[in-house]
Amino acid sequence: MPHGGILVAISLLLEQLLNALALAGLLFLVSAGLSLVFGILRVVNFAHGVFYMLGAYLGFTVVALTGWFWPALVIVPPVVGLVGAVLESSTLRFIYRRLPIYQLLLTFGLALILEESIRVLYGPTAKGVDPPPLLQGSIPLGAIVYPRYRLFLVVLGLVVGAAVWLFLKRTRTGLVIRAVAQNAEMADCLGADVARVRTLVFGAACALAGLGGVAAAPMTTAYLGMGIGVIVDAFVVVVIGGLGSIPGSMAGSLIVGAAQTWGAYYLPETAMVIMYAVMGAILIFRPWGLFGEEE
Amino acid sequence: MTRPRALALAAVVVLAVLPWVLVRYQLSILTDVLIFGLFALSLDLIMGYTGMVSFGHAAYFGLGAYGSALVLIHFGQPIPVALLAGALLAGVIAAPVGWFSTRATGIYFAMLTLAFAQLLYTVAYKWRDLTGGSDGIAGVPKTALFWGGPSLASPRAFYFVVAGAVVLSLVLCRALTRSPFGRALQAVRENERRFIALGRDPRPFKLVVFVIAAVFAGLAGALFAPFRGFASPEVMFWVLSGQGLMMVVVGGIGTLIGPIVGAMVFILVQEVLSSYTEHWMIFTGAIFVLMVIFLPGGLVGTARRLASRA
Repeated sequence: MPHGGILVAISLLLEQLLNALALAGLLFLVSAGLSLVFGILRVVNFAHGVFYMLGAYLGFTVVALTGWFWPALVIVPPVVGLVGAVLESSTLRFIYRRLPIYQLLLTFGLALILEESIRVLYGPTAKGVDPPPLLQGSIPLGAIVYPRYRLFLVVLGLVVGAAVWLFLKRTRTGLVIRAVAQNAEMADCLGADVARVRTLVFGAACALAGLGGVAAAPMTTAYLGMGIGVIVDAFVVVVIGGLGSIPGSMAGSLIVGAAQTWGAYYLPETAMVIMYAVMGAILIFRPWGLFGEEE
Repeated sequence: MTRPRALALAAVVVLAVLPWVLVRYQLSILTDVLIFGLFALSLDLIMGYTGMVSFGHAAYFGLGAYGSALVLIHFGQPIPVALLAGALLAGVIAAPVGWFSTRATGIYFAMLTLAFAQLLYTVAYKWRDLTGGSDGIAGVPKTALFWGGPSLASPRAFYFVVAGAVVLSLVLCRALTRSPFGRALQAVRENERRFIALGRDPRPFKLVVFVIAAVFAGLAGALFAPFRGFASPEVMFWVLSGQGLMMVVVGGIGTLIGPIVGAMVFILVQEVLSSYTEHWMIFTGAIFVLMVIFLPGGLVGTARRLASRA
């Protein structure tokens, strides 16, 4: 039956496409913050993945306390953002003038402290989080039946992506942030409070990572080590897309999401290798990423 | 005799005498310090002298450990053969990784090295037939010094192999950093643009020093496997790469001897703290953060600055 064969092929393609988009949605939530922080602070935040993990664990706590998922999605990101802002203003703020190496090392130390603190608070076992009833089960989508929760991740990634972009392009605060990214000294001279912008951006980026963590928890559970897993993927995303560029993180997330989804399907043992092969190929032609600017 | 030379001689004498003074447990900590000191020292070559921060240096330590473990288990060769095999394996893998990574600079380089290291870690984890997967390779023997030669099974004998290898590596690395090649590396670190403007291409220099650093890290790993008797994916994990960075920063970037001091401080602090709490990483993390903020020159760098002022 040739028609049946084509139908199966199309529905498989559709399913994989949606899987890739769901993964890309999560990756974008993490890598956008990483990229944003680099654009404004010129710091690669090694602790960024740990904020994602913190989001997942706090999400577990809120769900355990209230019995609902939706409050976690609203409460956790600001809390994670606050933790980030406090850490930025108490440590990073003092060493912006040093070589970039030191800022990277500092955030590495912060990552160790946070990761180990989460281990102390929650213990070594993974914590499962139930998705809300509305997003449980699957819905028919034309020829296929697709899990609702993954569809939600696709939508969430798109909505947040659009919101971040509109915020940066259309609001006054977004304008100031872009000004600081372009030339911090000049923005300072024109009256922008650069120190505050940095703290704000760092906190907002951590909040985005926290949101990613809450959103990921029903799919992956909250577990130790999820931070490093996601930061390595996010590094690949920003290397492909270019540091400091939001469209770059979006493109990078889509490429990595696609490489991982199709890699896992066709070459399950070597899915990781596909991702690095893609990254290597792009780096040969554009060492600073697709949307990045040459240093 | 100049003061640094006298200090170096005194250090060698202390290293030679210590195994007769220390008890077995202390000797094993000292051996640990030397092995991880060598690892940190190799990282300092690229980080301190060339200004390239690698976040994936543990990969080469791990490759050295696996290379030496496989040679010892399957072929029962003498230790020096295993050391050579481990160091060589690390260097051979580092060449293509370095070729890719050195295309990027600064932060991109750090991220690329981490990504490749996690890839190698995954390979070690998944390739069960060769590496034993998550269990790793256990029962790595301390074989002989040469074919038919004396056994190195006693802790003291093996300590001398480790100490010899580390002192030799330190001397070689010191000579390297003072050679014209080493001067060129420092020129790249100070001002890469000017280096290019002077008509030289920094990339071959970066690639070569990346491979050399990987070879020394591989040597450290190759010593580690027979010393502890095993090689497992943990020795390639990013945590070890980070600990290496900590040792370099705590001891003093760009001082060669500093990273060994850093390894000593790191391991001793860990020994002390871990007897009080299993969550010692919180405290080492905090100490590290404070040192990055307040003591960027590290212990040796700061001591040298104070000595030159006095």
